[in-house]
Amino acid sequence: MFSQKLAQQPLRRLAVQQPYAMRWSMTNGVSPASVALGNNVQKRQAATSSNTSDPTQILARQRKNRPVSPHLSIYRPQITWIGSSAHRVTGIILSGGLYLYSTAYLAAPVLGWHLETASVAAAFGALPIVAKVGLKSLMAFPFVYHCMNGVRHLVWDLGRGITNQQVIKSGWTVVGLSALSTLVLAFL
Amino acid sequence: MASIARQSPLLRQSCLSAIRAPLVNRNAAGVSQMVAFHASAKKQILPPLPQSIQGTVNDPAPVPHTSPSHGSYHWSFERLVCVGLVPLTIAPFAAGSLHPVTDAALCSLLVLHSHIGFEASIIDYFPKQRVPKTRALCNWLLRLTTFTTAVGLYELETNDVGITEGLRRIWKA
Repeated sequence: MFSQKLAQQPLRRLAVQQPYAMRWSMTNGVSPASVALGNNVQKRQAATSSNTSDPTQILARQRKNRPVSPHLSIYRPQITWIGSSAHRVTGIILSGGLYLYSTAYLAAPVLGWHLETASVAAAFGALPIVAKVGLKSLMAFPFVYHCMNGVRHLVWDLGRGITNQQVIKSGWTVVGLSALSTLVLAFL
Repeated sequence: MASIARQSPLLRQSCLSAIRAPLVNRNAAGVSQMVAFHASAKKQILPPLPQSIQGTVNDPAPVPHTSPSHGSYHWSFERLVCVGLVPLTIAPFAAGSLHPVTDAALCSLLVLHSHIGFEASIIDYFPKQRVPKTRALCNWLLRLTTFTTAVGLYELETNDVGITEGLRRIWKA
């Protein structure tokens, strides 16, 4: 309200002090003759219709700039999500190994490979002890981790142990037990 | 006419600025913030494709066809396979290698479990909307390799010593 009064003040002052100038400015010098002859063209400084851009596209443009999920590296490493991704990664490693080995076993007679248990066992037995322990650990860790974490998943499916503290505790338990069983299996 | 001619540059300018404004703001904010807060290089391993809208902006999300065989039955079947795998995984460690029948059961469940797992991964990482051809290729590749794996395991079970006895022999070698 104050700003309106402030804007009206010079206009009032003009009307009081110079009424002729005021009347001239109000009519803007347009005579009825000029209007009749079509010499007067009204001017509008603000466009009232925006026929150049489709207003329905404003929302569409906003939707196209929706944020995308950020890269994994910005999250703090926590046992909850690291353990969960490790479950999938170990599962893909194990199943991928099974798929590759059985498909290769099926194709072996055609390709002339020797993947029978006897040949593979003989080849493995010929390796130095360090390589044996290393290979066994590489095979055992994904296996024990995926098995134990799988049991954890089955417990969650029963609706148990799903508070944050329980998940953290069971996650580290599985990591510890897998490390221990990997060592046992590697030196078996 | 004269007035339209005079107004049109103004109009054009306002339209352009309306279109450019979000881009300019975002760029200015993005660049300045990145310089201020990021000490290391920006690592974006999978930059998003330009987003698109199918239909109109106010269309609801499509509801997939509902079927218990893709919902609850599917979920229960997956859990049954997992639960079945637990004793079959523990048994060889307790009792040495398995009887051919239990060994065959282990192999079948392993193939089912692997197929379900790979399928879930393909669904997660190759969205149909984004990479429809790669998705279809992966799905067919999975079906093919699941088949070859199953036949390969059958060969291993029938012509060889079986998976548990085989692993035991390799492990003890």
